[in-house]
Amino acid sequence: MTAWGLAWRTIARSPARSVLAVAGVTVIGALLFDMLLLSRGLLVSFRELLDAAGFDIRVVAAEGSMVHRPPMADAASLAEAIARLPDVRRITLVRSDTAIAITAARSGGGTRVSLLGTSDLTSGSVWTLVSGSLLPSATAPGEVPVLVSLRLAAALQLQPGSSLPLRLFLPGSASALPLVSAHVAGIAQFSFEAADEYTVATTMEGFAAAHGKPADGVAEMVLVSTDSTQPGSEASAAAAIARLRPDLRVLSNDQVMEQFNQNAFSYFRQISTVLSSMTLAFAFLLIATLLTMSVNQRLGEVAALRALGFPRRRIAANLLWESVLLVGVGGLAALPVGALLAVILDRILREMPGVPGRLHFFVFEPRAILLHVALLSVTGVLASLYPIWLATRLPIAATLRREILS
Amino acid sequence: MSGLNRGRACAFAVAFLIAAALPVATPASTGLPPILISRQLAEREHLNAGDIVTLALDAEGTGSRRFRVDGTYEPTPDPLRFTAKRLEVRVHLPELVTMTEVRDDPASADALTAINVKLKNPQTADAFSAAVASRAPGTFVRPTARARDGSDPFAVLERFHVAVAAVTVLGSTAFLLALMVMRAEERRETIGIIRLIGISERSILLEVLAEGLLIATAGAVFGIVLAVATQGTVNQFFQWRYDTALVFVRVTRSIALQSIAVSVPLGILAGLVGSWTLLRRDVLALLGR
Repeated sequence: MTAWGLAWRTIARSPARSVLAVAGVTVIGALLFDMLLLSRGLLVSFRELLDAAGFDIRVVAAEGSMVHRPPMADAASLAEAIARLPDVRRITLVRSDTAIAITAARSGGGTRVSLLGTSDLTSGSVWTLVSGSLLPSATAPGEVPVLVSLRLAAALQLQPGSSLPLRLFLPGSASALPLVSAHVAGIAQFSFEAADEYTVATTMEGFAAAHGKPADGVAEMVLVSTDSTQPGSEASAAAAIARLRPDLRVLSNDQVMEQFNQNAFSYFRQISTVLSSMTLAFAFLLIATLLTMSVNQRLGEVAALRALGFPRRRIAANLLWESVLLVGVGGLAALPVGALLAVILDRILREMPGVPGRLHFFVFEPRAILLHVALLSVTGVLASLYPIWLATRLPIAATLRREILS
Repeated sequence: MSGLNRGRACAFAVAFLIAAALPVATPASTGLPPILISRQLAEREHLNAGDIVTLALDAEGTGSRRFRVDGTYEPTPDPLRFTAKRLEVRVHLPELVTMTEVRDDPASADALTAINVKLKNPQTADAFSAAVASRAPGTFVRPTARARDGSDPFAVLERFHVAVAAVTVLGSTAFLLALMVMRAEERRETIGIIRLIGISERSILLEVLAEGLLIATAGAVFGIVLAVATQGTVNQFFQWRYDTALVFVRVTRSIALQSIAVSVPLGILAGLVGSWTLLRRDVLALLGR
């Protein structure tokens, strides 16, 4: 009989024990798999979100960051200058503020909304139009056409054509501007909207009108899309923009990712590393204990096999196969269980305030499976080393004598 | 704003300013206004008490003024900003207002970023916030207590950690059961002999229960001791990684009791389940006859 066959028989001889051991490996393996998904999940998901927006370069004020963006003066003229660069395909200006939406549908002090001013009027990148029409390219002075998010439309029972009174505030001042009556042009799904946020988007002219001013050319961020068919277009465009306005920060998607990776996402990477290490240590201890106890129960059997002429190599192979079977079956079963668990854990973490609705903490990548298999294999092999040593170094005659006497 | 005591509420303001250090302390420095700098800034710019620094609002030197460093301080750990580099300076509020004042805007000399208010009765925080918000439009007023609707980030993180702990407990329970089944198998003949000489199943079960209680309690206590012993290492790692005094792991009495409350019954249950399989069997079968 081969070592594999012997291992299979040993495991099949105690089905309850084997099922429980495999169940333990499955649950611990599922946790390990999830931690591997978490370690890069935010990065992968955020990258997808950035790429889906269709922009390669982001320009912000030098004093700010991607989260805190002070307004940049002369952004409109900067946008015109950027548009003339050869590698640039599309430009969008962005401004944001908070406002209070006042409606009869809700009592109290109104609903706090994020007001987004943008020069991008097309659907499909930062937002996807669900109903109604897109923002108009030209508006009458003082008019504020808006797109509202699905969540806000549902909360305030808004439809395309509805009127939405907005109250805005002067920055740095404890007073409010007169109420502005915005016109709901359409309802859209916003990629970057958080689960606890309501988004209202308007044109740059509408944004200024809501603040009681004519368009002033100020923006918080300039988004630039380059010609991706030309290699190196992103780098050359970024360098050209930096030359145009050295007082601003020009960030590629990679640099934005790096910023978030170093700050906002690092906690989850660290926690996943700590939990993965602890999970592996836990799996190692438990598998080693199970196999050691199993060997201890079969010392007489092992001694008898050795006495019959079984080489140490075959005894070691038998125990190794036993470990492979337990860890292998448990590890395989851990993948679907881990996927299910990841959905639950992801749902919990996405309740965190300020997290965009489309951002996920647990994201599947093929490398996670490879890493999962490699780590569990190494753990299984390491865990079987001590029981193998115990079985192969066993004194045959003394063990047989002890077995007969007992 | 005028109704609130600005001076009392904001004895100090925390400002994020661009610091340019002049690394020479001179006797003239005694006349300069004093400031405190964060430990992180002191380490990064190699500043010491007595040094003179120039603070400005931007890299061009707008509103620049000279200050004397009187000492360093450890910023209050903020879990919401633990990944941020705490390069901070504490200046007296009048000095900050002088720096940030805009000549053409008289109101800028009376501007503040935030006001902290300590209420006589903290229970009225919600009502007080609503009252201030309705009187001062454009202000964002909120109680400092954690939101009770479970939406604050730490409540979410807590739920996540509880879920991970629950999965770990599930996995370890399966392993524990497997070990207990093996242990029961090991004692098959012993239990058979004990039953043959007339010891009742109830007595055997009680013995298993007592043994399970002892082992589970010892395991739980060992686990807590291990957690207490290693919490320092985990904290040191994260404090080093993020350059903060924030405590990431703390084994509290309530956590220790929760661990015992979960692990001891599970341990006993696993022992009972393992032994129950033997007690149900016929005595002769246990002895292999």
